[in-house]
Amino acid sequence: MILAKKDIPKALEILSKEAAVYAPSIRKIEDRTTGVIQEEKIFLPFEEGTEIILDGPNTVKPPKDLLFPNVEKMYQYKAAGEDSYIREILPEDEKKILFGIRPCDMRSIESMDKVFFTKTYVDSYYAKRRDQVTIVAIGCLQPERTCFCDSMGIDPNQAPQADVMMNVAGEPEGESYVLQAQTEKGKALLDAISSLDQQEGAEPYQGTVCSLKIRKAEDLDKKLAGMFDHPIWDKVTKGCIGCGTCTFLCPTCYCFDIDNENYGNEGCKYRCWDSCMFSDYTRMAGGANPRPTKKERLRNRYMHKLSYFNERYGETLCVGCGRCIASCPSHLDISEFIEKATAADPDAVSYTDVPAGTDRKEA
Amino acid sequence: MAIDHACSCEKNPLLPSLCRVIDVKQETPDVQTYTIQTLDGKKPFSPLPGQLAMVSLLGVGEAMFSITAQGEDYIQSSIKRTGMLTDAFHEMQPGQEIGIRGPYGNHFPIEDLKGKDILFIGGGIGIAPVRSLIRYCLEHRSDFGHLDILYGARSKKDICFKEDCLENWAKEPDTSVYITTDVPSDDWDGHVGFVPSYIEEVGFQPEGKKVVLCGPPIMIKLGSASLLKLGFAKEDVITTLELRMKCGIGKCGRCNIGSKFVCLDGPVFTLAELDELPDEK
Repeated sequence: MILAKKDIPKALEILSKEAAVYAPSIRKIEDRTTGVIQEEKIFLPFEEGTEIILDGPNTVKPPKDLLFPNVEKMYQYKAAGEDSYIREILPEDEKKILFGIRPCDMRSIESMDKVFFTKTYVDSYYAKRRDQVTIVAIGCLQPERTCFCDSMGIDPNQAPQADVMMNVAGEPEGESYVLQAQTEKGKALLDAISSLDQQEGAEPYQGTVCSLKIRKAEDLDKKLAGMFDHPIWDKVTKGCIGCGTCTFLCPTCYCFDIDNENYGNEGCKYRCWDSCMFSDYTRMAGGANPRPTKKERLRNRYMHKLSYFNERYGETLCVGCGRCIASCPSHLDISEFIEKATAADPDAVSYTDVPAGTDRKEA
Repeated sequence: MAIDHACSCEKNPLLPSLCRVIDVKQETPDVQTYTIQTLDGKKPFSPLPGQLAMVSLLGVGEAMFSITAQGEDYIQSSIKRTGMLTDAFHEMQPGQEIGIRGPYGNHFPIEDLKGKDILFIGGGIGIAPVRSLIRYCLEHRSDFGHLDILYGARSKKDICFKEDCLENWAKEPDTSVYITTDVPSDDWDGHVGFVPSYIEEVGFQPEGKKVVLCGPPIMIKLGSASLLKLGFAKEDVITTLELRMKCGIGKCGRCNIGSKFVCLDGPVFTLAELDELPDEK
């Protein structure tokens, strides 16, 4: 269907009658020390009058918390002899529409689906949220300087697994969108807003490319598998301060911790996002830690993204969204690492054997 | 090894069921064995030898433990006091309600072991997972050849499962038991020395024999070296790994070694399989 840009609020109003709609919008936050109002673009619940911003750069945070919240209750319990109980707390029955997800973030949801739905166990919490979500993806028009999804094999104009794919009609400054249903859920969504169909419009725009092009070996996953003891790790992990920002902003990072919150002898078991950058993550009772320094921890993160996940699930766990590059306080850059690892001599035994970082080409 | 898994909780694999500790046995100064039943007096689930259970003390925490034994209507776990949670376990009295979920992980490759002689080697609390397999072999005695059991503890008082190690197992048919302690003591007239050197001293022959080796990392490392020196093949030495775990179902991320998750793909690996994984154990 063809939807005029000016009709987007109307469409969301119709959709929000049946489901909670989340779309990219601006949240204003006052800086407590300076009083300066800062604006950040994130997925917010749509209400009448909310300004939705579909173009421009991607959201600061990925929408992963809508499927996998940063803190999530799992069950309640009471530890009191005969009165003890364990009661499951599953996510609420609430249909959600995620409107305006970029292809990189859609791909990250596909990776999370693999983790939470396959390999023997289905995660009940994720599954319940995921089943209730309908996703409308939008072709990206403005990749940031740190975006490199097309080097990671993702077309910034397409998200084949989304329920609805939405591209601007004609040229990037066009006045309408072309919406195509890609699943049954997507068809139902378009039916609900069919009254806004303009019927005629230009072809969907497919011309977006990333400006950051990185040289990535086709078989980098296999190459890295043989580079566990390579000197490259001493070098790339030098600046890391172990703050975990990269993991919390990464759309594909899914690791979690499980802990308790007690109120007297009652309480609640919850899970929350965790970070492989923290020393506690793998530290065992008794103090032994298989990943004792930031070198082992960052190596595990990069290897997980670029090699281990490929071996286990058949795809790379980095979608090239660039958020970790933009937000790292130490300017660590996974795209730079990919290029260095691509160029590295896999048999190198010292720093000097590793070719210096390759120059960036901007298209 | 292949994941052949049937979880007892069909719906939500992260939700424990409420069970009760019906017996607490002090094995050594820092190890207790808990006998666990469902609230209505049944067995929580039927694990295969080597499988794991997530045991939780409500309000304190949850961790993964090996299941050392099972009977008609119970499972048993032996837990060493090492940290905050296990300290709390050691305060438990019979009747205590706990949470249990599982069984998790793969198991000892019983089919591969059938018809073979087996050398069981345990060090410290590492005897707990080994015992689940020893018990299985004794219950299905005719399926297996000669059984050698070698166990090392710090001192006599630290010997776990004393009745089994010092009396019962040696009386079983076609079974030899070797017990050693790291340090001598007045009440111990048995062998003194570390497990790896005892392996070489006894000089086990590799022909037709599989080895099951569990213990602290240093014992696995040096014990493996001793076995390889005696001519055992890496494919024939089976061990178990232990890492920090939270979910137990291969999702939460932390117990990976390379692309494998110890909770799901392990804890049982052969030395040959471990050779394929990055050196982060």
